Amino acid sequence: MSAQPAQENVVTRSLTQIGACGLFLLTILAAVPRSFRHGRETVRQLWFVGAMSLTIIMVCGLFVGMVLGLQLYYVLSIFGGTAASGTVVAIAIYRELGPVVTALLFAGRAGTSITAEIGLMRATDQIAAMEMMAVDPIAYVVAPRFLAGVIAMPLLCCVFCALGIFGGHLVGVNWLGIDNGTFWSNMTATVDVWKDVVNGVLYKSLAFGAVVSLIAVFQGYTTAPTSEGVAYATTRTVVASSIAILAIDFVLTAFLM
Amino acid sequence: MSQRPSYAVGTGLFIVLGFAALAYLATQTTSVANIHQGSSYTVDAHFANIGQLKERAPVKIAGVRVGQVQSIVLDPASEVADVKLSIDQRYSKIPEDSVATIFTSGLLGDQYIGIQYGSSKNVVAAGGTLALTKPAQQLEEMLGKFFGAGGSADNLGGSYTVKARFTNVGALSAGAPVKMAGVAIGSVQSVKADPVKLDAYVVLAIDKKFSQIPDDSAAAVFTSGLIGTQYVAIQPGGSPEPLKNGDELVLTQSALQLEDLIGKFLVSGSPGDKKAAADDTKPAGKH
Amino acid sequence: MTDSVSAQPDDSALVRVRGLTTVLNGKVIFDAMDLDIPRGKITAIMGPSGTGKTTLLKHITGQMRGDAGEVWVDGKNVQALSREKLFELREQIGYLFQNSALLTDFDVFENVAFPLRQHTELPEVLIRNLVLTKLQAVGLRGAAKLMPTELSGGMARRVALARAIVFDPMLILYDEPFVGLDPVALNQVLKLIRTLNQTLGITSVLVAHELEAIKQVADHIYLIANGKVVAQGDPKTIAEDGSPWTRQFFGGEADGPVPFQYPAGDYATSLGFPGGGA
Repeated sequence: MSAQPAQENVVTRSLTQIGACGLFLLTILAAVPRSFRHGRETVRQLWFVGAMSLTIIMVCGLFVGMVLGLQLYYVLSIFGGTAASGTVVAIAIYRELGPVVTALLFAGRAGTSITAEIGLMRATDQIAAMEMMAVDPIAYVVAPRFLAGVIAMPLLCCVFCALGIFGGHLVGVNWLGIDNGTFWSNMTATVDVWKDVVNGVLYKSLAFGAVVSLIAVFQGYTTAPTSEGVAYATTRTVVASSIAILAIDFVLTAFLM
Repeated sequence: MSQRPSYAVGTGLFIVLGFAALAYLATQTTSVANIHQGSSYTVDAHFANIGQLKERAPVKIAGVRVGQVQSIVLDPASEVADVKLSIDQRYSKIPEDSVATIFTSGLLGDQYIGIQYGSSKNVVAAGGTLALTKPAQQLEEMLGKFFGAGGSADNLGGSYTVKARFTNVGALSAGAPVKMAGVAIGSVQSVKADPVKLDAYVVLAIDKKFSQIPDDSAAAVFTSGLIGTQYVAIQPGGSPEPLKNGDELVLTQSALQLEDLIGKFLVSGSPGDKKAAADDTKPAGKH
Repeated sequence: MTDSVSAQPDDSALVRVRGLTTVLNGKVIFDAMDLDIPRGKITAIMGPSGTGKTTLLKHITGQMRGDAGEVWVDGKNVQALSREKLFELREQIGYLFQNSALLTDFDVFENVAFPLRQHTELPEVLIRNLVLTKLQAVGLRGAAKLMPTELSGGMARRVALARAIVFDPMLILYDEPFVGLDPVALNQVLKLIRTLNQTLGITSVLVAHELEAIKQVADHIYLIANGKVVAQGDPKTIAEDGSPWTRQFFGGEADGPVPFQYPAGDYATSLGFPGGGA
């Protein structure tokens, strides 16, 4: 799966990868029930991919919210509509920035580390050693990381959104002097739990979590067992994840909105 | 395993934090009332014009949300919009002569249905109809009445100039229209600050066709629409003498800041209060 | 030492390879190879690099399947086993990887305890005792709390050995156990292999190049080349075998049946001399 014949063109290679990735997803899903035996491992991975990504997610969420608050203030002040900045910050973050930026950050922070980790396990025969110890590496190594990614992404996205809105509030209300009550009441009046929070934050980030985790474990598991193979797989994880996130975002937006 | 507690605790904290964030987002930043779908009953109301009313728009009594718009269909027979309101069962004592009105929340906000209680002893039953309705007021109409119709200045043939002084011209610039009764009759030729009197000195070029404007007419700086450009409005006076080339308009009203205007307007938002807002914009006769 | 000199099938053989043929990337690795590994003995498999010694171990454990032939381990045809049955069989096989393959996430203790935790529900006390026993056997009980990155190559290999024997397997496969070890570490591993074989009666298969080391422990040696067994016997017999393969391999000659030159076109032609091909 890792070594592609040189004469294949980009399209064929991409299709092969996508197909192999899809089959790999089926393998993982089949292994998920068995991986419940390794629940402790899933918890451990949730710690690594989820809790360890919190810092970057929180910092970035705060700054995204702050810059959004600042930009919107200047644009909306042209129309005398700065009171709406709370609404626009919230909707922009819930619908797009929260899930998408969280997923991109997750791909860079956790996705690469999953790929590199599994790739190194493959390169140092740890995967083979598990096979030899009669432990299914899909159930023990791959499925827990995949599950952890799927679970962690919506949670991270919620944290990102909360911090983003806090950042927007910080800039809008505390710095630029929009009325606190106006900021919140406009937001609460317009933002809809189902349309914005559930559709945006939950559905999108669940889909992104599945896709990014799948790409990360697939690239790691099928990497060539050499150091350059791992480096290449790590890069591919980021590139493929980013493209997949934005493409799926468009499709989901078209369907959900 | 010795590492287990730290992972478990950390991961647990992470999950709790995530769900806390979700709960915060869902409850603090959204209209939670939208989720509340307890038992409700449906009432019909027919409107001649629903404006921008949409499904799931709130239904309010005394400004408090009591339900939402369930469906909007055009009744082909009577050419009125048949709006079904889903109202919380707790508010089942609505008199049948109550009036359903389509309001706009704020200037740019969504529309909603307000129900003003009537005095009848009979309450409207589930599936009943609120007979008394007021259609949506189009914001454009309201603003049109309020500010006078917009429209650009014609390309003028001959014109004469009159001067006017304002303490504040707002964002008025040369080329802005001069209007009377909402119709363009000329344009602003120049806007200069007077270094001696410390006010704005504005030269208006008015079409020669309008040579019978009384010389005690007032000039005011108005804004076309909400976010439009500013223009000078001439409000005719009662003097028998017409304005002549080079005359100065003595009665002027400076630009009202849009913020003040919206502030006053937003307080009520109902069309009845429009007159009060309009009163504030009458010429104050400042030099 | 004397009972398995013949190539005939032997009832005491734990592993029997019959007519194994494997083609990898167009290259024939095994060509209808027959091979027997006797129970309770230490068997060494030697041969030039690239002859598929590690591939043979992978066939025995079912990590790879051949294109033809059979591999019988303890009366089961590995080639035909389902994944579940294969996993059952593997629980009885220890495998020592060339680079130890310790799980980097866990310390030494957890690495050795890993198979126990995965396959049993033993109480913690029992796991602890079992693991410490095995670590004591390889002399690393004191290193139980170290992480794999803190271990030297020799120590890592001993930990991997402790992990491989934690289930008291019937068969251990050593893939190049002596590579990169200093003489002291090499002798430690050598001693362990012998002790494990003698005290627990574990059948051992060694893939290695170190002739001197193998002479000390192996009961039987197979020399593989070109996909066939080219020589076999106990260390003394095979050393005295006069075949060109043994002469080259054990004598360490640069050229012989194993060519020094990788197959190439005519040298003179490559250099561009006219008429070089003649």
